[in-house]
Amino acid sequence: MTQTYSKDDPTLLVDSPAALIDSIQPFPPRSEREAEFYAVRDGEMLINLGPQHPSTHGVLRVVLKIEGEKIIDLDPVLGYLHRGVEKLCENADYHQAICYTDPLEYISSLFMELAPVMAFEKLLDLEAPRRAQYIRVLTCELNRVASHALFMGWLALDLGGLTPLLYAFVERDEIVEMLAAQTGQRMLFNYFRIGGVNGDLNHDFMSRLGDWMSRALKQVEANQRLLNENEIFLKRTKGLGVVDRDTALRLGMTGPSLRASGVPYDVRRAHPYLVYPELAFDVPTREEGDTYARYLIRLDEIKQSIHMIDQCLHKMPDGPVMAKIPRLIRPRPGRAFAAIESPRGQYACYAISDGTDQPFRMHLHDPSFVNLQAMGVVLPGNLIADTMAIMASLDPIMGGVDK
Amino acid sequence: MTVMARPWRRLTPTGRIAVPLLVLLVLLGLLGFLGLVTGIIPGLVDFVLRLAGANPGIVRFIVAAVAVLLLSIPIAFINGYAELKVIALMQSRIGPNRVGPFGTLQAVFHGFKMLAKEDFTPLGADRPAFTLAPVVVFLTVVLSFLVIPFAPGLYGADLNVGLLYFFAVGGLSVVGLLMAGWSSFNKYSLLGGLRSAAQIVSYEIPLTLSVVGLVMLAGTMSLNGIVEAQGGQFWHWYVFQQPLGFAIFFIAVSAEANRTPFDLTEADSEIVAGYMTEYSGMRFGFFYFAEYVSLFIISALTAVLFLGGWHAPVDIHALASFFGLTVPALSIDPGSLGVGLLLLITLGPLIGTLLLTVPVALWRTDWSIWRALLVGFLLFNVAVGALITIYAYVASEVVAGVFWVMAKTFTLVFVFIWIRTTLPRVRVDQLMAFAWKWLLPAALLNIFVTAAAIVVLS
Repeated sequence: MTQTYSKDDPTLLVDSPAALIDSIQPFPPRSEREAEFYAVRDGEMLINLGPQHPSTHGVLRVVLKIEGEKIIDLDPVLGYLHRGVEKLCENADYHQAICYTDPLEYISSLFMELAPVMAFEKLLDLEAPRRAQYIRVLTCELNRVASHALFMGWLALDLGGLTPLLYAFVERDEIVEMLAAQTGQRMLFNYFRIGGVNGDLNHDFMSRLGDWMSRALKQVEANQRLLNENEIFLKRTKGLGVVDRDTALRLGMTGPSLRASGVPYDVRRAHPYLVYPELAFDVPTREEGDTYARYLIRLDEIKQSIHMIDQCLHKMPDGPVMAKIPRLIRPRPGRAFAAIESPRGQYACYAISDGTDQPFRMHLHDPSFVNLQAMGVVLPGNLIADTMAIMASLDPIMGGVDK
Repeated sequence: MTVMARPWRRLTPTGRIAVPLLVLLVLLGLLGFLGLVTGIIPGLVDFVLRLAGANPGIVRFIVAAVAVLLLSIPIAFINGYAELKVIALMQSRIGPNRVGPFGTLQAVFHGFKMLAKEDFTPLGADRPAFTLAPVVVFLTVVLSFLVIPFAPGLYGADLNVGLLYFFAVGGLSVVGLLMAGWSSFNKYSLLGGLRSAAQIVSYEIPLTLSVVGLVMLAGTMSLNGIVEAQGGQFWHWYVFQQPLGFAIFFIAVSAEANRTPFDLTEADSEIVAGYMTEYSGMRFGFFYFAEYVSLFIISALTAVLFLGGWHAPVDIHALASFFGLTVPALSIDPGSLGVGLLLLITLGPLIGTLLLTVPVALWRTDWSIWRALLVGFLLFNVAVGALITIYAYVASEVVAGVFWVMAKTFTLVFVFIWIRTTLPRVRVDQLMAFAWKWLLPAALLNIFVTAAAIVVLS
């Protein structure tokens, strides 16, 4: 009697490990590019970076084609964190839709809710009171500092330095606790409302903020000293992963990654929103376009943010923090677009109303996704060790990329 | 067994270790007593002593091997704990503080945790190589323990090529790492193994060349001879005569032991865990064990080669004779006291305790007299312990030597941990370029300058 084997037969796997060694392609290639990528020539090797890897930020999976340690090609696989946020928002009413967008960029959640709130306000043709607008700017800039501080820690961690991350978390934790005192949550704040914010500034928040502001700049400069004068850090980041001006523009990159390539585009300056026109701030720009420039840009932005927080506190007007809005929101049919500058770049919301209490369509434009594309241009030719530094310097948050 | 199950379950983890040990101790005591009564043990001892008298070399080897293996265990735990705690304090964290006083047993419990975990071999792995790799790595580390002198006369073996032996055995660890990397059937492991091969082979060369100048100065390759050549005051240490050699040696040796910033072989942010990726359970534990022991060994070797080994920084006798003085030799012969010895043993503790109780009772008037007595007794014990330690240090050069070697070694361990906390990792091509373009020429220059200096000065 002859025994027949099937692919599903467990004994096959146990008896002959060779069945595992042969690479099994799960699907026939979907495109010519894919077929070419997965045809491995002599001396090349495919290596799977993620979705579970100590240093991909979230569940990004990149299939790297390497020759020795040098990367010659890559195939990013996205969608491990796809939640269908846009569709969820279309099935919730306008108030509920805001909290669905919170976890997109889970370390700068306030920005994630700001854009939809502004789009809905445009649909309703109403404007938040000025005090609410100042509070929005104040809390958003705080959140930007927290996000950028964490970025510096992650970059150092991906380069093998353990300590800067812990120092970054000290700063980030202070801000997050401060915002928790104000909003009630540490990470997913859900603080902005259509027509204002949920609750005026309270004493706990203000005292923590004052405490932190008295030494914020000094702390940032201390962090800077730990990395900036480190010879190994400089050697590893300078000239690494250069995205030149034209490439950055062609890819549609925004935010610090674009400004590090020499394009002074900042939504706060180019298309001002909230009370940003009333605040004095610089748009730091650098020409090099390498990892080190992207790192320094964020340091400069932290300083600008602290400066802006200071101005907000001085200029904060009195008044209500919520506009008078009906309990059930039914905007007139129409469409609205609102873009803001998130810590990663231009984050935008495009909302269409059909006159019901739910948005007919809501599109979220996330900067992480766009900036991540630069990986494909920059990575080939670099070593495996540098993939992490380059990816970290682009600062993608997979929640936003996969939506 | 069912009778035992319930009390066993109620024991704490510490109790589950302590109770079997206690039972074992009682059984051993019983066996020893029986052996003594029946005359088996004296006979055995006599036989062993006669055998040992015939083969002192073999006895020395066995004792040294056992001592080295046993010594590696507490050293690994101490280094493991030090790494956890020092890194935590440098990162403004608390670090381990639950198991034992100040978390000192944390590393031990990590070891027990490793033992309790599943020892997993991936399908497709090369089983023999996969199993042997941790053993090879561990053995190379422990073998290089053998030549390190801890005090005059306290060493495993005094080879006349001790330094060469150390480098040869240390270089063998690359075999273990390659075995682990290749047999794991994992691409990350393979990359880690290949990186370690490239790294250790390249750094072996500047490492060996950096000590050539030192060997020329000392005129011997025996580690004992090198330490003896550094006798005298601290400016006779080779770190001051061979500063460039010391710098090269320090960098190369930290690359050799895969310490940050050269820990490319286990770079967790790049290649997951390098050659250790597929290991679990105690086999993984062995790698860690070897890492911590090798941390101690490279520190000890640096201390022995460049920091004067067992010599104290200041030689009091030499200093005194320089000023025309002599330090009186400490000579206590307890036997000469006669009946006084008996009185000292019986009355000494009593009087000492009472004497120390008086100030305690006066200082803390609210304490009961029993409490003050207890504190006084503890203080007396501490004082006696301190006196015995000082006496041992002064009277025995072995104790003094071990003290200084350990002090220097653990200072260097601290420096290595400090470096690990501070620096990011270098890239693999930068690592290679650094070894071949900078360290190697610098080591050659060091040899040349040392040789020229010896010729000119003699």
